Amino acid sequence: MLPRRIVQFLIIYFLGLAGLLAVKYGLQLSNYVIPGPALIWQTFQAEAVRYLRDVLDTMSIAIIGQVLSICLALLVGIVGRQTTWFGSFVKVAAYNVQAYPIVALAPIIFILLGDGFLSRLLIAAMICYFPLLLSVLGIMAEPIRDIEHFYRMTGRMRWQLEVKIRAFENLGKLTTVVAGSATLAMAGTIVAEFIAANAGIGYSIRIALYQSDLGKILIALFLIGISLSVYQGLLEWCGAFIRRTWESN
Amino acid sequence: MASSASMQLSCRQATFRYPRTATPVFEDLSFEMPGPGFNALFGPSGVGKTTLARLLTGTSRDFAGEIRMDGIDRVLYTYNTERLPGWSAVGTHLERIVAPGQHDLRDRLVALFDMQPHLASRFAQLSLGQKNRINLIRYLLQDFQMLIMDESLANVDEPTREQIILGIKDLFPDRFFLYISHNVVEVAKFCRHILVLAAKGRARPASVVSGRDHNRDGTPDRERLERAMLEIVNAA
Amino acid sequence: MTRHRYAAALTAALISFVFVAPGTLLAADKINYRLKWLFNTSVVGDLYADVQGDFADAGLAVTVKSGGPERDAIKELELGQAQFGVASADQVIRALDKGAPVVVIAQLFQVNPLQWIYRQSAPPINDLSDLKGRTIGVTFGGNDETVMRTLLAKAGLETSDVKLFNVRYDYTPFYRGQVDIWPVYRNTQGIVIGRKMQADDDPVRFFIPAGFGVKFVANSVVTSRKMIQREPDTVRRFIRALLCGWEKALDPDNSEKALDMLQQYDRDTPRELLEAQLAITRTLVKPTPDLAIGTIDVAAWKQTEAIMRDQKQIAQPVGVEKALHSEFAF
Repeated sequence: MLPRRIVQFLIIYFLGLAGLLAVKYGLQLSNYVIPGPALIWQTFQAEAVRYLRDVLDTMSIAIIGQVLSICLALLVGIVGRQTTWFGSFVKVAAYNVQAYPIVALAPIIFILLGDGFLSRLLIAAMICYFPLLLSVLGIMAEPIRDIEHFYRMTGRMRWQLEVKIRAFENLGKLTTVVAGSATLAMAGTIVAEFIAANAGIGYSIRIALYQSDLGKILIALFLIGISLSVYQGLLEWCGAFIRRTWESN
Repeated sequence: MASSASMQLSCRQATFRYPRTATPVFEDLSFEMPGPGFNALFGPSGVGKTTLARLLTGTSRDFAGEIRMDGIDRVLYTYNTERLPGWSAVGTHLERIVAPGQHDLRDRLVALFDMQPHLASRFAQLSLGQKNRINLIRYLLQDFQMLIMDESLANVDEPTREQIILGIKDLFPDRFFLYISHNVVEVAKFCRHILVLAAKGRARPASVVSGRDHNRDGTPDRERLERAMLEIVNAA
Repeated sequence: MTRHRYAAALTAALISFVFVAPGTLLAADKINYRLKWLFNTSVVGDLYADVQGDFADAGLAVTVKSGGPERDAIKELELGQAQFGVASADQVIRALDKGAPVVVIAQLFQVNPLQWIYRQSAPPINDLSDLKGRTIGVTFGGNDETVMRTLLAKAGLETSDVKLFNVRYDYTPFYRGQVDIWPVYRNTQGIVIGRKMQADDDPVRFFIPAGFGVKFVANSVVTSRKMIQREPDTVRRFIRALLCGWEKALDPDNSEKALDMLQQYDRDTPRELLEAQLAITRTLVKPTPDLAIGTIDVAAWKQTEAIMRDQKQIAQPVGVEKALHSEFAF
């Protein structure tokens, strides 16, 4: 699962790079518009270590943000699954919060929380929270009738059991959503850093953009992609592992 | 454990239609069915057997007419596509839902249903027939006066099915069973009364036919059995 | 058509697009002029030449396009999407360093509008050593960082002698007094912030790097080497029409006309603010009456290159003076 993800990423990345280079040589563009392979390699040697550190910094925040939003989405999903007034209120509130674009909220967040760790974390969590919530709500609100029937008939159904049944039956779907939301958490953190932070790969990309340095951006994209592939692969592996243990105890 | 000497299920001109639909599932349904005993609900597909079962459990009260259940307080309904959660072995699940003092009954049921070798398996690992058997055991371990078994023995081979039905009749003589099945021989042979819901357009929408109520000790009278079968088929 | 023929046709179409497209764009009558920033007072002359018909009088159909942080006129020149553009000197030097065929045909700002604002209540910066101990706003990666580092080096100060603060679009840290001196564009934000603080009885001053010998060139008009070789006449007509527009826009006699026009493009800024911005822009673009607008300050360009080399922003000397071509304008 993990090596396959990395190989897939490498194929996509190098196809994209080849396309760029084809345009470069086709149009005889200078290294300023699209850097040549030698310059990209040179940039890689000069920046890879620093950028990797930045990517890991960004990723650590993305992971914490993701964990937060998973917890929040589970909480809201569990409460919002009920067809009660409170359930639908929670659902509506959750949808509304997401209706505001992050770029519009970001300045308020930065003014209130400054441009450090907390702002980056909050924005990452906000960006990856909604798709997670949608899936969790969808999963939690959908009864597994064939399993739940017995517990309802015999008055044994408790909310914990209901959540357990629905989570277990949809574990594969949940794993996919969680792995997918990792990309969003990462994108969210990068956006936050790009808008207003003093650290992370988003911040480095912003500086590279100031300097019109596409080479650095290509290196950053490479490192982001490879780190994300590893992380997502690990998440999928964890999902499979949890399922295996859950099924065999 | 509930016990009741006399039970009666009766229905007066019951009509049910799903919201926003014109044609009723059944109309003017009237019958009387005495209990306890192993009874059946028989009829072609689509005549409203499952719908009637739902009305009996009280999950839906949105019907016209009257349904009375004298001496029956607790009704359970089970159907053949039910599943047990996949996170534990079926034996563990059984252990969790057995009431104190019922362990003996559980062991007898497990033996009767021939499920002992499969208790350590996950639900998904069982065959279709085994799945239906383990599910039915769960229900039989509950506190009920009426149990509606909607094709609960589907995919179970005939000898085992006979064994199980006879066993249930031995173990639960004071309960009211309503066994939904399409097997006319089976219901005619084992059931005391058979409530037959007729296909749409028949004059009598419902009739109660007497079955042979065959027990472990007796030998079935072939002629009478055939007559009962004929009666059932004619009523349907 | 068989699948193979279809694929071949598609490939041919792609190849012809890749190789022919820039040529066709260049051959077109229409000229695209990509600015560095959004339409505001800093581009008043560019707009004036367009709106008042200077380009049309020169027989050119010019589309003036606003810039922005994601736009890069030099890249557009190479891609054939624009024939002329505005770029800052550091962009030009970086592009030359990477082999871009870009040339400068006029320098719009004689004094870099990038300056630092600070409170009059703070000790004045009369000498670069006065920067010591202050919290200084810089945009990390931006050219204000380059300029400030040069100033600090010139003063013999280490980065540890001051506190550099990462600046973004939000001025709150300066208003709150968290940061002592804050980078602004003198003719636009500088006026807005200065007025706001004046209204709060907290008057401001500006710290001007050029006053301390650091001349870092700002916006200039650029085109491609191919353009000056193949269509020198178009280049000549374009730059003369453009500078004529600038001269007229900054002529105090035309200021009403210029302000009317600016208001059409920049609806969010009140007229009296635009007026103040126009007055300051005049001093940056045409600091003395006898200096022609567009004059290329070669020494300042060389200094800009030297600064960038000192700070290792370019790998090798690019000889920027070779890319400066004032002969089309004058």
